[in-house]
Amino acid sequence: MLQNFSIFKTIFNDAPQPWQLGFQDSAAPGFTGIVELHNTIFFYLVVISVGVFWVLGSIIYYYNSKKSPIVHKYLNHGTLIELIWTITPALILIAIAFPSFRLLYLLDEVISPTITIKVVGHQWYWSYEYSDYVNESGESIEFDSYMLPESDLELGQFRLLDVDNKVIVPVDTHIRLIVTGADVIHSWAVPSLGIKIDAVPGRLNQTSILAERAGTFYGQCSEICGVWHGFMPIAVEAVPVQDYLAWIDSN
Amino acid sequence: MSEDLSSKYILQTAGFDARFPNTNQTRHCFQNYTDYFKCIAAKGEDFAPCKQFKRAYNSLCPNEWIAKWDDQRENGNFPASLEP
Amino acid sequence: MNLELLRLNLQFNPYHLVPQSPWPILVSFSLLAYTQSGVMFMHGYPYGGALLTLGFILTTFGMVLWFRDIIKEATFEGAHTTQVQNGLVIGFVLFIVSEAFAFLSIFWAFFHSALSPAIEIGGCWPPQGITALNPFAIPLLNTILLLSSGAFVTYGHHALLQGNRKGAISGTLITVVLAIIFTALQGYEYAQAPFTIADSVFGSAFFCSTGLHGLHVIIGTLFILVGLFRIINYHFTTKHHLGYEASILYWHFVDVVWLFLFIAIYYWGSN
Repeated sequence: MLQNFSIFKTIFNDAPQPWQLGFQDSAAPGFTGIVELHNTIFFYLVVISVGVFWVLGSIIYYYNSKKSPIVHKYLNHGTLIELIWTITPALILIAIAFPSFRLLYLLDEVISPTITIKVVGHQWYWSYEYSDYVNESGESIEFDSYMLPESDLELGQFRLLDVDNKVIVPVDTHIRLIVTGADVIHSWAVPSLGIKIDAVPGRLNQTSILAERAGTFYGQCSEICGVWHGFMPIAVEAVPVQDYLAWIDSN
Repeated sequence: MSEDLSSKYILQTAGFDARFPNTNQTRHCFQNYTDYFKCIAAKGEDFAPCKQFKRAYNSLCPNEWIAKWDDQRENGNFPASLEP
Repeated sequence: MNLELLRLNLQFNPYHLVPQSPWPILVSFSLLAYTQSGVMFMHGYPYGGALLTLGFILTTFGMVLWFRDIIKEATFEGAHTTQVQNGLVIGFVLFIVSEAFAFLSIFWAFFHSALSPAIEIGGCWPPQGITALNPFAIPLLNTILLLSSGAFVTYGHHALLQGNRKGAISGTLITVVLAIIFTALQGYEYAQAPFTIADSVFGSAFFCSTGLHGLHVIIGTLFILVGLFRIINYHFTTKHHLGYEASILYWHFVDVVWLFLFIAIYYWGSN
């Protein structure tokens, strides 16, 4: 209800912003999990940093040669403190490892996808194939996705991010991505969907995406692949299932 | 209109295959390709269950790979046996 | 030992300073020329083959003269005291370990390709269209040859330890003869092989592993041959014959690598 008033409207951040420090807004459970893991680890990071810098600062402050001229020549070890500073980090690492592995294996899982989309990295553009629906003559949906040059941009389009043909995916649908390269290694990455997967020639890598809301999500090639590595962006447009079917039909 | 589309396009693709549980799906694609041609060599092109393999390899294999393998089969230098 | 005691009348430590020698710098530049011209040769640059030959001759020349100088220091100057020998042993053992890791990496490449064969070679091993060699023909004969050469070199070693000159010479000579037969058979099999180094990863793995091993057999044969020459020329005593022992260690290493090659690549990798 509140969404109908313009001041309460949520505007998601699905593309990088100038001077951005945080994450883009999540559009997939995988990315939500990644942000959550990041926050979990950040908690330990803050605790450890405060502890270490406190100890470091107080040593510098209290034990300089002016304040503390006596040299403790024979104070060279303490079993208890050594046990503490060995076992505590081990426990912290375990506490970080458990949620990390849990998330890792969750992200790896591709159980029962509804759609398969093939992603092929080229020098220097992406091409996409939708071959679940092959017509009578054996043709499937197949298109190249090039970056829009600056001169062709319209108001509201992103420089170096918008493409001529976006990847159309339905929302709330399990989609299998098969990613490969045609010439050299590329990497297909969309932050809002929590995906970054290498496109290796001669190998098919599998991952899954699940868009939880409609929108256009942007990403870039993430494996240096030649001179125009920076000019082969990725744009994924998530639409309602009916619109997706209409799009399939129109192709 | 929308009713037509839902019945016209069945949202369905190659399922999970316990032989290929990893991220690397190269053999998943290749296996279905060879299985299809083994299947039609044994049962004929019209044998309906063979279609399952064809749907799977179409969904999983890049079209460029399929075209290359089709050429290789024609030239007789496909790198695997397609005898049933 | 007498020599060592004698030496202690002249100096208070067991070590010797190596005199100024031109060989390290010569061998360095020869190896540079050898490897560079090897690349030139393989890429078809003009004079690549001639430069490669020159590089080989220069490297061999430098090595021969360098080792001659070491033999002079060891046998004729008595510089290789017990402590110096100890250092040489450690150095040689570490060298063998580094060789073992070189072979490990090649075996790794083989198993990587053979345990999970890529779809490009038909998803099977040996790859579709490749006929592997029969392991129970020449390879089995070569296994027997190499193992018995190992036995003969042990005989030669024990004869040397007991001061049995005839036994030492005959045992070492038979080892060398068996090694040469091995190399000849291996060369025959290479000529007869139904695949080449360019025939898929199978050919590459096969010829890289057996080829590197064959190179080691040739080097080991020359090493033992030098030992034989030195036995004949009374260089060795029953207590001091480190060069000979190093060659035996090297030979056993080559022998063990062959057993792994035979089991993994010839037998397991052929069906």
